[in-house]
Amino acid sequence: MRSERARHNKIIFSGTVGAGKSTAINALSDIATVSTEAVASDATARLKPTTTVAMDYGVLNLPGGEKVMLYGTPGQERFNFMWDILSEGGIGLVLLINNANPDPLQDLEGYLRAFRQFIASTAVTIGVTHMDSAPEPGLDAYRARLITLGLSPMPAIFRADARSRDDVATLVKALLYTLNPGLNDA
Amino acid sequence: MKRAHPGSPTAQPSALHLLHVGSMDARLIGLSIERHWTRSVRLVETLEDAQVVLIDCDRPGIEAALDQLAGHPRIGIVYYAFHPKDHAPRFQPRPVLGKPLNLESLPATLAQARADAAHVIAAAPPRPIAPPPAASAPAATPSAPAPLGHSLMTDDERDLCGGMDDIPATPGSPLPDKLFFNPDDYLIGRLQQALALASASGRPHLISGLPRLIGIEPRPVPVCITAFRENQLRPLAMTQLPESTGRIVSTPIIGEGDSPPLQRAAEDFLWNAAAWAARGRLPAGSDPYRPVRLRAWPNFTCAFASPHAMRIAALWTRTQASPVEIATRLGIPHRYVFSVYSAASFAGLLDTTAEHENAPAAPPSPPTPSDRPARPSILSRILRKLRDAV
Repeated sequence: MRSERARHNKIIFSGTVGAGKSTAINALSDIATVSTEAVASDATARLKPTTTVAMDYGVLNLPGGEKVMLYGTPGQERFNFMWDILSEGGIGLVLLINNANPDPLQDLEGYLRAFRQFIASTAVTIGVTHMDSAPEPGLDAYRARLITLGLSPMPAIFRADARSRDDVATLVKALLYTLNPGLNDA
Repeated sequence: MKRAHPGSPTAQPSALHLLHVGSMDARLIGLSIERHWTRSVRLVETLEDAQVVLIDCDRPGIEAALDQLAGHPRIGIVYYAFHPKDHAPRFQPRPVLGKPLNLESLPATLAQARADAAHVIAAAPPRPIAPPPAASAPAATPSAPAPLGHSLMTDDERDLCGGMDDIPATPGSPLPDKLFFNPDDYLIGRLQQALALASASGRPHLISGLPRLIGIEPRPVPVCITAFRENQLRPLAMTQLPESTGRIVSTPIIGEGDSPPLQRAAEDFLWNAAAWAARGRLPAGSDPYRPVRLRAWPNFTCAFASPHAMRIAALWTRTQASPVEIATRLGIPHRYVFSVYSAASFAGLLDTTAEHENAPAAPPSPPTPSDRPARPSILSRILRKLRDAV
């Protein structure tokens, strides 16, 4: 039996610590986002003072009263048991990678592996954040890694500023078109 | 290409009023005047100050513009349209130029229209008697539902993707010359040369002779640096550059004295410059029937997304197909796919290698609602929400 969460329309935001998942959901959500953040006490504390320890939650209100839930997973891998629970029944995955991390390409690979089954049945788009302060690796390096991982079709991968509603909306739009290029946007 | 030296009938520049012109064209013409035509044309703000006006026949509201001219028989009029022959009978003897405007010859045409109007003693108002020509969109029965993408174009869509009709679905017929553009006539051609030279030499290269700085730094990932503002780049990229403008020169450093220059990944910058130059056309030498694919999505957070560009990218990254096939599968006019093709080819995102044997099986068509029960409807609603909100 599917859980109550699984019956909702939801889009999953995941990615590395400090990539901007909470910020991205906040940029897109029609409500004040609900976050379960805590003071970071592990290695995360070096990157940011607080971090999501359960999930972030936002909502897109559609005409007619329908809602699309925006769920952000915790970035720390010790919480990865929650990723499957949160993603159950989701429309697709927006993956945010912090380019200022020591090995962002390895981060990309790790998250794509972790969400392999979910992506296979839905779709993923990738936003690379903090490229203004850390321009390397560039998008072509990410594309090359995606080719080695054999993802088909090749996911959309964009530079993204998680604070920008336009950028986050562009990632979600690419996700929707990846699921169905025939969608009518006219 | 040589600069035009119109034979002006008087020593004074023609006072031009852009009576019925899209914002993009207005910027483009304004930039041309500022750079090349200060001796032959000057822009004026009001009809009362004008000696000649410019009218875009394809823009809605042309009748109101013509009404304004009714009391000004001594003002010269120059029309322009995507299909000038359709409009010529209506407006003769006044000239109807084709789009895109040939900026080399425009000052001479304006001067001639001004001179012709000056000889009018008491002319009938320029309002035409004949009914306006039928829309030049692809033929469709009035009762048939408009296919996706064939709905009424906005001014921006016309400016950015033109209004060209579809070409035949299969090769064989000669293709119209206006389907193609020569990149060497535009900024994109200069950028392409600069990028090639910078990449080959490992040194920054500048495009000289433009009003502001623009150049390429090779770095590990090539970057375009410019002192042009964002809103100046589009009209510049759409303008045909004189042959003498835009020599590529090597330089030890880019950006000195200009603060703060804009920096963009060269891939994004070239995508935009090519899309703006193309206006729904293909680079000269392209084959619209040859299967190709996108090797990756463009960076749509910076790259210009023409109408349907994301749908096109979604389909073209998963299947090898010709531009005409992509348009057919998506049910959209060819010009939108040609725009993406042109941009992708200059951004280095087009894979033209033949992969017929190894290519994954192309989907017969994009998923339809019947393929994914309930899913597309919610996707469409989310998409509409995002489109309306952004």
